[in-house]
Amino acid sequence: MPNQFNINELQLKYLELETLLDITNELNSFDQIPVLLQEILVKSCGVLNASSGLILLEDDNSDVLHIAADFNMDISSLKGLIFNKRKGFISEIHQTRKATHVDVESDIFLSKTNTKYALIAPLLNKKMLVGVLIVLDKESRQGISRFHESDVNMLSAIATQASVAYNNIKLIESIKEAKTFNDNVMQSIVTGVFTTNLMGEINHINRAATTIMNLEKEKVMGNHYEYVFESNQLINQLITKCELESVTLSESQYLLQCNGKSTTINISVSPLLNDMNEPIGSVVAMEDLSNLDKLKSTFKKYVSKQIVDQLLENEELLNLGGQEQEATILFSDIRGFTSMSETMSPTEVVETLNDYFNLMIEIIFKYNGTLDKIIGDALMVIFGAPIANEDDTKNAVLTAIEMQEKLIEFNQDRIINLKKPIRIGIGINRGKVISGNIGSKQQMNYTVIGDSVNLASRLCSVAKEDEIIVSETVWQQVKGVTDFKSKKLKAVTVKGKAKPIEIKAIAYFKPSFHYEQAYAKIENFLIHNLPPEYTYHSIHHVRDVVEQCERIAKKEKVEKSIIADIKLAAWLHDIGYIWEPNRHEARGSEYARSILTELNFPKSKIDLITGMIMATKIPQSPKNKYEEIICDADLDYLGREDYIENSNGLLQEIKLNREITEIDWLNIQDKFLKAHCYFTTESINRRESKKQNRMKIIQKQIINIKNGTGRT
Amino acid sequence: MSDFIKSVKEENGIVIIETNGYLNNTGGEEISAICYAKMANGQFKFLINMAGTKIVNSIGVSILIEIIEKLQEVDGKIGYYNLAPIVTKTFNIMGLTKYSTVFELEEEAINGL
Repeated sequence: MPNQFNINELQLKYLELETLLDITNELNSFDQIPVLLQEILVKSCGVLNASSGLILLEDDNSDVLHIAADFNMDISSLKGLIFNKRKGFISEIHQTRKATHVDVESDIFLSKTNTKYALIAPLLNKKMLVGVLIVLDKESRQGISRFHESDVNMLSAIATQASVAYNNIKLIESIKEAKTFNDNVMQSIVTGVFTTNLMGEINHINRAATTIMNLEKEKVMGNHYEYVFESNQLINQLITKCELESVTLSESQYLLQCNGKSTTINISVSPLLNDMNEPIGSVVAMEDLSNLDKLKSTFKKYVSKQIVDQLLENEELLNLGGQEQEATILFSDIRGFTSMSETMSPTEVVETLNDYFNLMIEIIFKYNGTLDKIIGDALMVIFGAPIANEDDTKNAVLTAIEMQEKLIEFNQDRIINLKKPIRIGIGINRGKVISGNIGSKQQMNYTVIGDSVNLASRLCSVAKEDEIIVSETVWQQVKGVTDFKSKKLKAVTVKGKAKPIEIKAIAYFKPSFHYEQAYAKIENFLIHNLPPEYTYHSIHHVRDVVEQCERIAKKEKVEKSIIADIKLAAWLHDIGYIWEPNRHEARGSEYARSILTELNFPKSKIDLITGMIMATKIPQSPKNKYEEIICDADLDYLGREDYIENSNGLLQEIKLNREITEIDWLNIQDKFLKAHCYFTTESINRRESKKQNRMKIIQKQIINIKNGTGRT
Repeated sequence: MSDFIKSVKEENGIVIIETNGYLNNTGGEEISAICYAKMANGQFKFLINMAGTKIVNSIGVSILIEIIEKLQEVDGKIGYYNLAPIVTKTFNIMGLTKYSTVFELEEEAINGL
C-alpha cells in the first residue's frame, strides 16, 4: 500500500480542530434546541469515530433526564427507562461534572444500549448539570475500542461549547416567553399603552392604543411621537416635558384627534426607567372615555340635551328616589297601526316605526320633554320630571302641535311613495304624579305613575286621528299664556272616573298642499323608481318637460297658480312608466288621483292634472290651453338643437323591445315629425321652423340611403 | 439492501451507489462489499450518491481509501456527488479528494468520471 494513502495523526488532529471550530462557529446560529443538539451529537460522533451517540437533557423541574437526541442507534431498548440524576453514570457525572469513560456493562442505563464503550461529557448551566453528551464505541478498522484519553478532552471541549449554545437558546426562549407574556398582558388590557425610546420613537404599542388612535401598528411603530401626534400638540408637550423633567404628567377629558377619528381620553405620561433608574424613554397610558360618552348618549335618548346638561351641572336636581310632584304627561299613538302593519313586512313595520319615532322624538326633545317609554306604536312623554320648569304644560302642547304638523309633511313623502300615511291621536293631562325609579331589583326605570298619568292615556284613546285632546287642567294653564286655540268637545266618561271629564281639542295649522315639497318628493320618487334602462323616459326628460312647461306657460301669460299645476302634471306625466309603460298616461293619472286626494290637493283641480297627463298620449290631443302647454313641452326637443341626442335616447329605449333598422328608424321619425304640430303660439314661433329643417334632413338621409350613397 | 445502502444502479457503465446515514466502519464496509463484488464482475467505475449521508468518520474515509487503492490497481475510478459541506470538508482534510473526484450533481458526475 503506498504511503500516500495512509491517514496520519496530523490529519486526524486537523480534522478534530476543524470540527471543533465548525461547532463553535455554527452553534450560535441555531435557535432551536433539538436542532442544536442533533448537530452537536452528529459531529461529535463523526470526529471521535464513535459508532453512535445520545444526548440526555433534564426535564424542567425534575431530576430526571430524557433522550433529546440520538444518532445511529436503536433507542427502542431505552424507552421506558427513567434517567435519574441520582443513578448510574449520571449520578457520577452529576457529582464530578467532568467528561469520563463509563463501563457500559455495569451501568444500569447504558447496559441496555448493546454497546461496549462509552465516553460521556456533562452539559452545564452555571455549574449545574443540565444534560449529558454520550458517544458510544470508538471505531477502528480492527473493530470497536475504548475511546482515547485525547477523545476525553475533545468531547469536553465540544460539550463546553454546546453548553454555552444550549444556555443561550434557553435564555432567548425565556426572554421570548417573558416578552410574549408581557405582550399578551399589554394587548389584553383596555387601557391604551405605548412607549417611546430616548430618540422619541414609539417602540411598543398595545392593541387598545392603536384602536384609540385609529392607526395601524405599522404606521405608529418606529415613528417619532411628534410626527404621530402632529394634530395633538398637547400630547407632544406632555411627552416632551416628561422627557426633560422626568415627571409624571396627566390630562383629563382630552379630545384626541387621530386619522379622522375624535376620541375623548384621559392621558398620563410617565418616565420609563431602566434597572439603574436611568430614563430610557416614556410610557404613555390612554383611557378611552367613549363608553362614558355612550352612556351620556344613551341618557340623551330619553332626555333632552338641555335636561342632561342641567342634571350634570347640578346633581341635586336629580331626585330619583320617589317623590310626589306636578307633571304634564303626553301620550300619542298611531291610529289603525295594527291593521296597517298586517299588510306590511316585518322590516317595513320596523322601518316605518323608526322613521316615525325619530321624527317625533326630535320634537319631544326640542321642547325638553322626557321620553318615558315607547309602548308599541305609542309614546309616553313627561314634561316636569325629573326637572320641573315653568313652561312644562305649554311645551307639552307645543310638542303635540308640532308632532301633528310635522306628520303632515312626513305623510306627504309616504303617500307619494305609495305608503299609507300615519295618523296619530294625542292626549295631554297635568296633575300630581309619583316619580322615581320604579320596577324590580332586576330592572328599574325612572318613570311617573298615578291617576294623572292614567287620565292622559285615556285622553289619547279618546283623540281621533289628527286630534290633540287636552284636559281642562292643561287648557287652564295655557289658554292665557299663548295664542293657542281650542274647540270644546263633549265631556267624556273615561274608565276609572265617575264624573265625565271636560276636554278640549287644540287647533293647529294644517298647511294646504305644498307644491314645492311635492315636486321634490315626486322627483325623488322618480329617481329611485324609473327603470334605469329607459334612456329617453328618464328623470332628465321629466325635468326638461317641467322646465319647458314653466317657460311656455309664462310666455303664454298663464297665471302663477296654474303654472304650479302644469308643473305638477309635468312631474307626473311619465310616472306611469314605473308600472305600465304601455299605458303609462292612464296609470300615471290613476297614481296622481290617488296621491293628490291623500295629500289634500283641491279636488276640483285633480281632473285638471289628470287631463294634462292624458293629453300627452300620442297622438297628442289637448283640450285646453294648459294641456297644449304640456303637450308642446313634452315634444319641445323636436325643434331643438339637441334633437339627435334625444332621438338617440328614444331609439335605444325602443331597441329594448325590438330590433329596428336605420332606414326604419328614419322613416318613423319622418312620419312622426310630419304628423306632429305645436299648439301654443310660443312653441310654433320658437320651434316649428327648426322642426321643419330637421324633417328635411331626415328625408334627405332616407333618399341617400335608398340611393346607396349613405346618410350624409 | 441494508438501511445504509439505499440503492445500487448502473448507468453508462458506471455503478451508482446511493447511501443513507452515517458513513462509518459499518457503512464503509457495506460500500466496499458492493464495489469489490462489482469489480470481480469487471466493473471499475463507481459513483457514490451521498445525499442521505450527513456525516462521515475517519474509519469510513479510510475504507473509501482502501477502495481507491484497489481501483488504482485495475485502472478504475470512484467519485462522489451530493455531498454535505461537512462531508466535503472531511474528504478534503483526509486527502481523499486527491485521488478521487467530488461532483456537484449526478449528471455532472456521470459525464465527468
